[in-house]
Amino acid sequence: MINFAQGEFAVFGGLLTYTFSCVLHIPILLAAVIAIICTAIIGALMERLFIYPLRNAQIINVIIATIGVSILLKALARLFWPEEAYKVPEFTSSSLTFLGVTQRSQTLWVFGLTLIAVMLTYIFFNHTRVGKGMKACSINREAASLVGINISNMSLYSFSLSAALGGAAGLINAPYASYGSGLFLGVKGFTSAVVGGLGNTFGAIFGGLLVGLIEELIAGFLQVVFGISSGYRDAITALILIVVLLLRPQGIFGRREGVKV
Amino acid sequence: MLKVEGLSSFYGHIEALRAVDLRVRAGDITTILGSNGAGKTTLLRTISGLVPARYGRILYFGKDITNLRPERMVKMGISHVPEGRQIFGDMTVRENLELGAYLRYRRDPSSAIKKDMDFVFKLFPILKERESQVAGTLSGGEQQMLAIGRALMSKPRLLLLDEPSNGLAPKVIRDIFACLQQLHQEGITILLVEQDVQIALNIADYGYILRAGKIVLEGTAEELSQNQTIKEIYLGE
Ligand SMILES: Nc1ncnc2c1ncn2[C@@H]1O[C@H](COP(=O)(O)OP(=O)(O)O)[C@@H](O)[C@H]1O
Ligand SMILES: [Mg+2]
Repeated sequence: MINFAQGEFAVFGGLLTYTFSCVLHIPILLAAVIAIICTAIIGALMERLFIYPLRNAQIINVIIATIGVSILLKALARLFWPEEAYKVPEFTSSSLTFLGVTQRSQTLWVFGLTLIAVMLTYIFFNHTRVGKGMKACSINREAASLVGINISNMSLYSFSLSAALGGAAGLINAPYASYGSGLFLGVKGFTSAVVGGLGNTFGAIFGGLLVGLIEELIAGFLQVVFGISSGYRDAITALILIVVLLLRPQGIFGRREGVKV
Repeated sequence: MLKVEGLSSFYGHIEALRAVDLRVRAGDITTILGSNGAGKTTLLRTISGLVPARYGRILYFGKDITNLRPERMVKMGISHVPEGRQIFGDMTVRENLELGAYLRYRRDPSSAIKKDMDFVFKLFPILKERESQVAGTLSGGEQQMLAIGRALMSKPRLLLLDEPSNGLAPKVIRDIFACLQQLHQEGITILLVEQDVQIALNIADYGYILRAGKIVLEGTAEELSQNQTIKEIYLGE
């Protein structure tokens, strides 16, 4: 299912890390872990308060509810973190040179932690009992309940998990990201997932790379050739989303079949 | 073993089941027959907790199980093979079977689960051949076998089957029904919903005729196959 509040989890991941590390002076890695746990709890609360009551409603209503939650979370964030920008420190401050290119070491953290998160997610969904149950739920809820899976628990777990992952993504990227970009991160993540095929982890990662690449290329092209500012990159993402939904709604890796919930 | 008393279910204001009474004796194959829209699927779904019962109750070994959640039913030994198979199409045959044993991983040793998997593979050897194939690519008959196999993996005492013959070639239907008879001999109690009256009465001990949400006739399989009305309406004689 599409959760439009996913981007807000990323924002909370970043903001909470800021509070824990810069205000409460907890070491950055520990602060990051606590922030992830907190976003997971926010995800769990969201599921119980807004999604669970809609369990018999049509899927489109649930999706609209996630947009509402996204707005609510954004307002809450403004309330508790009223300033325009919060600077989260980089995990390690050194930079390193590789093949003649100098990179901040945060880039390495982004790559490394993303890789670990993807691997853990893959192992979870394919090699653990709860993970397989969750996957079964996403394929066919009713059949899942008929083999004895408690689908209400699974919904709770999956919201907590995706919130935790979103929070992790947000805080890893926090030193780069600008505040208030939640919905855009959500749209970007959603575009990546659509491009790769919904419900397909590797597809989503690949889609993310592809969207990022196309965005860079087109933005660069526009800037170099026409001198148009790269501020249009979010519009490019939206354009990719529309084109893919029109031409290949099942995604690049998705098989053509009914909409899964 | 299973006793249904005055059961009524609704979809909105539509009464899909009207005060249904029936009983399933342990060790029997009991069949529920009726044409399209009679309420057969609704009856099975109400028994397994997918559709709420508005009135009446369901007793299983004398215990009131009305409106328990589906996973509780599975835990108590009631396993439902739903209409349209509902296999996990994106997963392999083996993964589907493993999910059938979902509730047993904490309770039973893995050797017991493996034994049941072997039993399913012996019952449906084609599933063994297709073990690592994605389930959505199986033929209709194979998917039906997988759905039954998955239900068996929970080690049920009562198996609910919703139109297993639907959309299958006569030869495949015969194979599947032979397997149902074998399960019956192994001591599994079966509640079989069918539109194909002939083939259901062939293997059943007792049957009910459902029409517009009501039980209109019941009797032993023999009585029902001799019944004049049934001959005319359902057997086309
Ligand atoms: N989800 C539903 N919503 C509303 N009405 C339904 C639903 N499912 C079934 N019905 C109605 O309930 C009646 C019984 O349907 P069903 O139990 O599927 O019959 P059968 O399995 O015997 O063909 C039918 O009139 C059908 O239209
Ligand atoms: Mg039916």
